[in-house]
Amino acid sequence: MTAVTQTPGRTARSARPGAPRSRTARKNGWIALAFTAPTIAGLLVFFVYPFVANIFYSFTRFNLVSPPEWIGLRNYVYLFTQDPLVVQAALNTLWFVVFLVPIRIITALCIAGLLVRAKRASGVWRTIFYLPSLVPPVASVVAFVFLFNPGTGPVNQVLKLFGIDGPLWFNDPSWAKPSLVVLGVWVMGDIMIIFLASLLDVPTEQYEAASLDGANGVQKVRYVTLPALAPVLLFALITGIIAALQYFTEAAVASGVASGQATVGGGTGTSMGYPENSLLTYTMWLYVRGFANYQLGYAAALAVVLFVVAGIFMLLLLRRMNAFTPEGAR
Amino acid sequence: MTVTQTATLMGVDAAATRRRTRTTGGLLLWIGEHALLVALATLFLFPVVFVLLTSLMNGDQTLTASLWPNPFTGENYARAFTDAPLAQWFGNSLLYAVLATVFMLLSSVPAAYALAKIRFRGSNALFLAVIVAMLLPPQVTVVPLYVMWSQLGLTGTLWPLILPNLLGDAFSVFLLRQFFLTIPTEYADAARIDGAGEFAVLWRVMLPMARPGIAAAGIFLFFRSWNDYFGPLLYTSENPAAWPVAYGLATFRGSHGTDWGITMAMTLIVTIPIVIVFFFAQRAFVEGVTLTGVKG
Amino acid sequence: MITKKRLAAAAALAAAGALALAGCSGSGGGADKPASAAPTHLEGTVSLWHFFSDREADVIQSVVDDFEKKYPDVKVEVHSGQDDEKITKAIAAGKDVDVAISYSTDIVGTFCSSGAFIDLKPYIDRDKVDLGNLSAMPKSYTEFDGTRCAMPMLADAFGLYYNKDILQKFGYTAPPKTLSELETMALQMTTYNKDGSIKTLGYNPLMGWGENAAAHLGPAAGAQWLDDKGQSAVGADAGWPELMTWQRDFVQKIGYDKLQKFTAGLGQEFSADNPFQTGKVAMNLDGEWRTAFIKDQAPDLDYGTAPFPTADDHTDLYGGGYITGNIAGIGKGSKNPELAWALLKYLTTDTDAVVKAANGLGNVPTTTAALQSPNLSLPDQFQTFLDIMASPHSDTTPPSPVGAGYQKTFNDFWTKFQSGDGSGLTEGLKTVDKQINDQIALTTGP
Repeated sequence: MTAVTQTPGRTARSARPGAPRSRTARKNGWIALAFTAPTIAGLLVFFVYPFVANIFYSFTRFNLVSPPEWIGLRNYVYLFTQDPLVVQAALNTLWFVVFLVPIRIITALCIAGLLVRAKRASGVWRTIFYLPSLVPPVASVVAFVFLFNPGTGPVNQVLKLFGIDGPLWFNDPSWAKPSLVVLGVWVMGDIMIIFLASLLDVPTEQYEAASLDGANGVQKVRYVTLPALAPVLLFALITGIIAALQYFTEAAVASGVASGQATVGGGTGTSMGYPENSLLTYTMWLYVRGFANYQLGYAAALAVVLFVVAGIFMLLLLRRMNAFTPEGAR
Repeated sequence: MTVTQTATLMGVDAAATRRRTRTTGGLLLWIGEHALLVALATLFLFPVVFVLLTSLMNGDQTLTASLWPNPFTGENYARAFTDAPLAQWFGNSLLYAVLATVFMLLSSVPAAYALAKIRFRGSNALFLAVIVAMLLPPQVTVVPLYVMWSQLGLTGTLWPLILPNLLGDAFSVFLLRQFFLTIPTEYADAARIDGAGEFAVLWRVMLPMARPGIAAAGIFLFFRSWNDYFGPLLYTSENPAAWPVAYGLATFRGSHGTDWGITMAMTLIVTIPIVIVFFFAQRAFVEGVTLTGVKG
Repeated sequence: MITKKRLAAAAALAAAGALALAGCSGSGGGADKPASAAPTHLEGTVSLWHFFSDREADVIQSVVDDFEKKYPDVKVEVHSGQDDEKITKAIAAGKDVDVAISYSTDIVGTFCSSGAFIDLKPYIDRDKVDLGNLSAMPKSYTEFDGTRCAMPMLADAFGLYYNKDILQKFGYTAPPKTLSELETMALQMTTYNKDGSIKTLGYNPLMGWGENAAAHLGPAAGAQWLDDKGQSAVGADAGWPELMTWQRDFVQKIGYDKLQKFTAGLGQEFSADNPFQTGKVAMNLDGEWRTAFIKDQAPDLDYGTAPFPTADDHTDLYGGGYITGNIAGIGKGSKNPELAWALLKYLTTDTDAVVKAANGLGNVPTTTAALQSPNLSLPDQFQTFLDIMASPHSDTTPPSPVGAGYQKTFNDFWTKFQSGDGSGLTEGLKTVDKQINDQIALTTGP
């Protein structure tokens, strides 16, 4: 068989079930194994094994110092009926999913659209909106908590100039999460760039055709732009949701810095969620339970529940991606 | 396709140039749009400006209501390195990011190539597994992994974060595979006809053509490692000698009082390497970004 | 190559691996019996983990240096800045943690019951260490459920600090003795800016700020945490509602938002910007270590100390306060327990070492011998805390297998209560009871 007939790109399977595989196909198999062996090993060790082990641990009481002790469904009973903070943690995370993700996407879209319309889609303007997303998250959170200090921070000082009495931002349970949304909007540059690329990719002919049909600006957006952007929007939405379900760093660092507690003696876990557990996300609660309170079995149970919820969104994205990603090699 | 998109973004703005000649809406709209842009840009620059100003203030002035440094002092930038082991943090972050990236490239490039260009049984299942691993929240697997690393005696170091990249990184494999798909197979076929083995095809033909994609994947992982907070929190918190920048910056303010002037200076210092890398690698960066998102 | 069957096989292998690894954890260790007699010559390396930093870490270092001088063949590896979370991680990972010092008694319950700190009884008995030398309360909070896994290493007592200058300015010569007096004086001494915001506070009642925590206020009304069975006693206690109502009313009188804004702009507790040290707050609930910080950072401050005011109907309790302390133990993974024990014994019972540490840290010595030592040189204001230590009205937070968990649950409720409308106090406390008991059951129950 020449190499030509082995050109990947034929969507048909190269072997009928049951038929002996061709020599080249077998050779391909070995080569593929050689190339993918590390990744396969990685998936087994760092994905399959811990995933299964986590389920096992969720049925135990385990503090890492002594061997795990089987307690059956006890952790799950506690999780669903007795844990005073799990509901709040879950709601906090849900809050971020519902508010942080769409607001970021809409802002990114609007700014990208504005840049394109104003013909400023490159250069300094784009950089101004994109650069904040390059700042390491820890740095931007620390900076924001300082800037938004209710008493002496620049934000409230400037608001005072306009006669507005600024809220307590990161120190107020009702404002802490919105403050993180403000941060999230500031760093929306990473999605904005994708939208920018997509917007510039919409063929002008479509806009011209729409104009000929008598469409006005708004209608053009609705019938040309948005449909063209639909795949990217959906992608940004679902990956944003999956990221929001894991939201940890910004919330953890913000509550630590804002609480002002010198973490003398206690540890990072003691200030998580400040103020009043309003910033306690599900993954932070998992960390506190597992690595501050050393209830690793319980943390494993929390992780299982997280997987179930995240799994739903993963399935949605998978179906989406299958529609767009050609199967196998081209 | 991706090449043209990149070119578009880089300013070789053919489509936009065409549109430049049509003004829809007239002067009023132009003014409105630009006014809005200016307002938004000001808001976006606001944090940077004030962080800069605060970093030039004396420690005592930072918690007062005055916003303009009086006097101006650059001492915070020097003290950022003496009051905290910032250089050591940088060293650790660099170690983490560089090694992780190198290891990832060694393991993920061949795998991505195989998934994209070699027809083999199980490639779909493997790709599916890669995607699932990529989307999985890390907290789902963190407990057993932590137990495993602590039994290997590697907690208190960055190795639990670096070593797994030797066995592939799911997101990078995905990205690289998408990229390899865009390279026409004719080149590989030509090499095969000339008698080259698969490894030679990969090494001599594909790799040079895949440079942009590889650069993109490398840069993404570099940044992800540089910015990682949860990982170091879990694995290095008890060993200050191993703290990378992300963890050090968040934790430093704990022990004996935050000097906000120094902290703000640190935030800027910590951002600079990323900005530098970005400006040198803009092309690759945007390439990678479009690879992940645009075509879905 | 990757079929469903193989995937299933891999998963099964993984599960088996998980069980095997899990069974491996917590290996070795166990109760190693000490040698029949203490070694006559000490040599080797021993690690000391503690939470102090900066000036306080230097004090510990000087005590360690003395130990090394006494035993020239011993090298002590000091790890500073290690809080409870990090120490637990290190011990759990089997790292070389020989001696560890924790800032509070919170971990005694967990560490004693899980074996993270080894049982010290065999060593104590063998070397005939006189536990009677230890002060009463510290002795009680370093053991749990009959196991002694820690030794007290200096104690902390909480009282009231007051700025004499500011008090005088407003015509006061003596510190308040009851909570009502505290409130009246504080409100009088609070000054405001032109725009209505707070300029200086007489006393900051905000829960969660500085050392304002439920545990520290409890003794003012004799409030209890756990009953003899180790279950929550918070809901049944009459002291807590009294304290919480007083505190909330105090906060409301000043204005919760105003207080929050002012508090957010205050300096850090352990820096030279400490609000009490800079005169921003006239009276403060703080620990005895503050005297050392003031000596170091604000030596010209004219201040006085006194026991913290009691609730109006508990004036008989005056003179007491909240007591806790640093505790030290030997980590379960210690490879040289004899050497670790020698260091531990030195740090906690050697009179010279205890006195030196007490002088440097400004903490209360925990052995009678040290308390009576002529070398103890602490500022005059320190006497208050020695009295509080000795007072029968002082109290501490009992050790529990959930560590500081029960305190956090209650503090969460209290912080929410102070900003609310004041309703739901009784039901809320009952809920706190249930949550604490649930937690304890999850950790130790069947």
